[in-house]
Amino acid sequence: MYSAQIEKFLKAKKISIGDRVKVGQYEGILMPRIELGDTSSLVIKLDNGYNIGVKFDKSMKKVKTEWRVEKPQAKTGVTKIVFDKKLPTISIIGTGGTIASKVDYKTGGTSASFLAEDIAKQVPDLKEIANIRAWQIMEMASEDMVPDTWVEIAKAVAEEINQGSKGIIVTHGTDTLHYTAAALSFLLKDLPVPVAVVGSQRSSDRGSSDTVQNVSCAANFVANSDVAEVCTVLHGSVNDDFCFAIRGTKSRKMHTSRRDAFKAVNDAPIAKIWWQDKRIEILNSYKKRNDKKVLVDGKIETKVALVKFFVGMDPDVLDFYKKYKGIVIEGTGLGHVATRSKLSLIPKIGKMIKAGIPVVMTSQTIYGRTHPSVYRNLRTLSELGVIFVEDMLPETAYIKLMHILPKARNVEDVKKLMQTNMVGEITERTEVVSSE
Amino acid sequence: MFHLSEDYSKLGLKAGLELHVQLDTGKKLFCNCSTKMKEKQPIEIVERKLHPVASELGTVDQAAQFEFLKGRTFYYQAFKGESCLVDLDEEPIHPLNSEALTVALQVSLLFNCKIPSEIQVMRKTVIDGSNTSGFQRTAVVGLNGYLEFRGKNVPISQISLEEDACAIIGEEDGRVMYKLNRLGVPLVEVSTGLLVGYTPEEIQEIAYMIGITCRSTGKMKHGIGSIRQDMNVSITKGARVEIKGVQELGIMAKIVEGEVKRQMIEKAKEETRTVLPDGNTKYMRPLPGASRMYPETDIPPVPVNTKYLAEIKKSLPEPLTKKLQRFEKELKLSQQLAKEILRSDYVEVFEKVKGVEPSIVASTFTNVVKDLERSGVEISNITDENFMDLFNNLAERKIAKEAIPDILRMLAENNTKKISEVAKKLGFTTLTHAELDKIIRETVKPDMPFNKAIGIVMSKVRGKADAQTVIKAVKKFLATSA
Ligand SMILES: [Zn+2]
Repeated sequence: MYSAQIEKFLKAKKISIGDRVKVGQYEGILMPRIELGDTSSLVIKLDNGYNIGVKFDKSMKKVKTEWRVEKPQAKTGVTKIVFDKKLPTISIIGTGGTIASKVDYKTGGTSASFLAEDIAKQVPDLKEIANIRAWQIMEMASEDMVPDTWVEIAKAVAEEINQGSKGIIVTHGTDTLHYTAAALSFLLKDLPVPVAVVGSQRSSDRGSSDTVQNVSCAANFVANSDVAEVCTVLHGSVNDDFCFAIRGTKSRKMHTSRRDAFKAVNDAPIAKIWWQDKRIEILNSYKKRNDKKVLVDGKIETKVALVKFFVGMDPDVLDFYKKYKGIVIEGTGLGHVATRSKLSLIPKIGKMIKAGIPVVMTSQTIYGRTHPSVYRNLRTLSELGVIFVEDMLPETAYIKLMHILPKARNVEDVKKLMQTNMVGEITERTEVVSSE
Repeated sequence: MFHLSEDYSKLGLKAGLELHVQLDTGKKLFCNCSTKMKEKQPIEIVERKLHPVASELGTVDQAAQFEFLKGRTFYYQAFKGESCLVDLDEEPIHPLNSEALTVALQVSLLFNCKIPSEIQVMRKTVIDGSNTSGFQRTAVVGLNGYLEFRGKNVPISQISLEEDACAIIGEEDGRVMYKLNRLGVPLVEVSTGLLVGYTPEEIQEIAYMIGITCRSTGKMKHGIGSIRQDMNVSITKGARVEIKGVQELGIMAKIVEGEVKRQMIEKAKEETRTVLPDGNTKYMRPLPGASRMYPETDIPPVPVNTKYLAEIKKSLPEPLTKKLQRFEKELKLSQQLAKEILRSDYVEVFEKVKGVEPSIVASTFTNVVKDLERSGVEISNITDENFMDLFNNLAERKIAKEAIPDILRMLAENNTKKISEVAKKLGFTTLTHAELDKIIRETVKPDMPFNKAIGIVMSKVRGKADAQTVIKAVKKFLATSA
């Protein structure tokens, strides 16, 4: 958008984006201004393709119309693409994010695009793997999602499974991809087929985009593996060589930008999927494919919080959560918070537990297992009734607490359910080498 | 055989030049890596594929592009301090390097260009793997300028600031190896308008003038590969052919001549050709178009406000083209030597030297340095201060000019950094007149022919006295003792 002055001038002179214009000594196509920069400076595309910023000048004149801005058409419903009747059919469910965005090469703007043809074009080896049912259910940046979004996605996944798909790919923004993967792990009961939550760290307009390998490996994984679990499937290294399928409850984005940002935490990846030769190496135990009918348990308690303890934290912060139904704390080390200092959280935590609000303890070290009794301060916490949840990731604990609260009758129930492994969120033992 | 002494304007010779000059900034264009390119041992090798992208759909045969890329795997060598996650396409770019932008704007002003009010970085699709992202970032920083050349204005159509690509190491069975350290080094690209009515020699001369105009900023890299030239050449009965990657200025005229000959014999079509070592060209790929460009959206456009521009204008360096004239007229350097010193790393220190014949200083910085480099001497070990010290000693006649090569060699190879010490070590301290006369008396017989006498004395005092002094003293001796 240009400044009000320019917009008004353009309207009066009937000049639109895409028109060839003359401004001072420059001639070129008037471009839209996308988000950034000085709104009182015009963006002109020269004939050699370069854009430059040009000071607005009332002598600006239209030469002719070069092209018109086309509004991207939102596509609803399922699009099918059949490459070969003998191949299995899988579904690709689009939710938005970098992976599903399409660049308008004229303007540089991005828009959602999730036509089956587009995906097939972009990932050419899909035609050797599976027939596709593509369905864009929403267009959302992953950081904008809310817990209800998970339920919506779970329902779409169940619908596709129950109409016969052999495996499901959910494309997703990467920032909160592991939240959705963990949520789907809990919400989809009796999952009979593989579900891969897939994202990309480099947008699809680049020749170097990781979309191609990630979608290809995910398609191979959901079409051909025997793993009936929810996994994240993204690059396993900075090379374009293989992806890791990581259990949804054990996966976490551990880097802001690298393509191998997702790591299996406190667990081995379930599989290593080689891109070029399509080999799938199993690295961990898993639940097998089955004939059950998948159900969505969509009842979640959203009044739950994930709170990080930090040095110098004012215990009064916890007062805000008095109206909550449960909180998960990211403690330090084995699961500590200030216990004996003047900023001790103990009185407030004690009050919450007494009021029937379960308090769950995880660790901000991310890697490793919490422990309720090694140190005196830990014993104080566990004696209060704080629920230590072994090696569960903080985000996973937060989602699990939302999931079990509607089912638990009392704090004892919550404790039992939180400390019992349901879908791989707690491991009994940690292998010496787990994720390398 | 064609004889092209005939009129090139009759043949309708038209050419366009594109010069790419590496900037010697502290950091790369979009990240904080060093631009030194000194590391030898890679610390990591990363494997990548590239995919056909939508920008080319419809404009270029996508199937062909897919086939091309399917058969290719790219390997990138990462070097400590010289390549980072940005270079590896694993981290978004940082803001445009302001030092590089300032230099690029200086270049634009030196070529009398108009400066856009806002610099917009573009992505130019490149699928040969030389850019890990699949595109090269480039921005226009100047338009519609000119270069004064022999009383005429040569049109300079555009100045761009762009990131250099990876240097290729080799290719075998579709596996291409690249070095990441050159990727992201800032380049200034100078494009001329159509050059009509010039001979191949003049075109080469214009390329030289463009090169030294860029160098006027004092911020350009030197050495092999630091300037790369592309050109397009056509004659009336031929077609516009782009020739890529001319690294040596001296063969430009020959390439233009060769291309004119080729177009007179073969039926030329519009294409891109690359330069073979002998100066001939071979086909490379179809001509690229504007459809390869789209905006870089990871960083905002950079405004060039009037205050910033005024500051740059105020501190604009003297164009080396002016210096060239001055060096010839005032310092009485030959045109050849004046050009060479301007192209060397040493213009600034050259100008600081006082009290020594300019041609001696200039040829030290050009011929002597080049000879030493060729024989394996690490000239970069010698600082500007060392050179100043050297010429001060020469001005005070403490050393003779004949001793310069040996002194520089020792300087480069040893820790001794004082010229007087080096000269003493080498036995190159200048003789006093009395000492010289003593040697003459001992070695020259009064009836000796002059040339023989000079030869004998010079062999005794080489490096300890300069030839002029020896000649004078021997003359005097022969005249008085005869
Ligand atoms: Zn870097």
